[in-house]
Amino acid sequence: MLSLFYKGNLILMSLLVVLLCYPLLGLADVSSKIEQGARHWTMTADNLELKIVQMMPEQAHAFYLARGFKTEVARDIGASCMMQTVVTNKAAKTSGKAFSISLKKWQLKVQGNAKLQGIKLKETWDRHWKTDDISAAARIAFRWATFPSEQTFEPHGDYNWGMISFGLTSGSRFDLNVVWHQEGHQKSIWIRNMQCQTDNMDTKQ
Amino acid sequence: MNPSIMKIVIPLLLIVGALLFAVKSLQDNAVVIPTRTVPEQLTTLDPPLIVPNFELLDLEGKPQTLTAYKGQPLIVNFWATWCPPCRAELPSMNRGWAKIKDEGIAMIAINVGESEDTVFAFTGEYPIDFKVLLDEQGTVSAQWPMRGLPTTFVLNKKGDVVYQAIGGREWDADELLDQVRQLK
Repeated sequence: MLSLFYKGNLILMSLLVVLLCYPLLGLADVSSKIEQGARHWTMTADNLELKIVQMMPEQAHAFYLARGFKTEVARDIGASCMMQTVVTNKAAKTSGKAFSISLKKWQLKVQGNAKLQGIKLKETWDRHWKTDDISAAARIAFRWATFPSEQTFEPHGDYNWGMISFGLTSGSRFDLNVVWHQEGHQKSIWIRNMQCQTDNMDTKQ
Repeated sequence: MNPSIMKIVIPLLLIVGALLFAVKSLQDNAVVIPTRTVPEQLTTLDPPLIVPNFELLDLEGKPQTLTAYKGQPLIVNFWATWCPPCRAELPSMNRGWAKIKDEGIAMIAINVGESEDTVFAFTGEYPIDFKVLLDEQGTVSAQWPMRGLPTTFVLNKKGDVVYQAIGGREWDADELLDQVRQLK
């Protein structure tokens, strides 16, 4: 029995390495589900919780149309793979730690294309519109309805929500590299096999 | 490796590994808060922020200034009718206001970027019992350190911003209101 035990010590040692390293890794947990025809991705790592929910192009289009955008501009936004995003610092009261998110560091890898690309930030949209006739009310609504490009989340229940434009066509599949900073360290995790929503809700994606 | 040493080391490492695993799991569980239970605390701004005075119209068309609230703690909430977390937060702000309105604490809600008609229609469905001001051009909200909606700031009696809450809170929670009461 003992000899078997020692012969298998390589496997046991491997298991031990995993067990010993697990507490140090702060492993992230990524899950996904479909609710009301939209896929939801949830990522938790340390005290960060990120939720991303698909939006149909028509849904985003309608939202911005109602905020005062011209039809063609609202349609452009809607067609850029918008997703609703919620970030929460789940740390309890004073025991937790703040973290920062900069969307400038997030990267996408579209399936079938090895090249990495960034997401389309609100500042990029805003620059694009300088020559267009966008009302003040529409600009204000866009500013606050879009997820901020940079934000620190304090451990007292801070959360923020907003839409993110992935700048991809409807139906595109991609992997998303989520990056955040906590206590001077950069951390990241890939969320695999995400997909931009189409106007035809598909519960079997 | 010497088998007699391994006989001691391997079980020992297994026990240590299992213990660390258990500790990590407990730590993870400790920071997981159910979605509905948001910590009722405000983030302290140190040093306090100085914000410029403003003059905005309320829903009755009367001009309101920030300086008029000096001498009492003031809760300033920025919101919009199309913002789901703002709508979720407003009922608790109403309940919080019912608790503090006779305690020498003021509360205002500044709507960002919408017309009087839009806000007035909204308050028909979501009654707001405290003062609502209109920042239709977004000029005031641009001068405050906001990152999203809703964001709420708490000013001390001098008019300096001493707390902020990014995202919604349960404003009727005494744990949270006590932080504001201590500014009196």
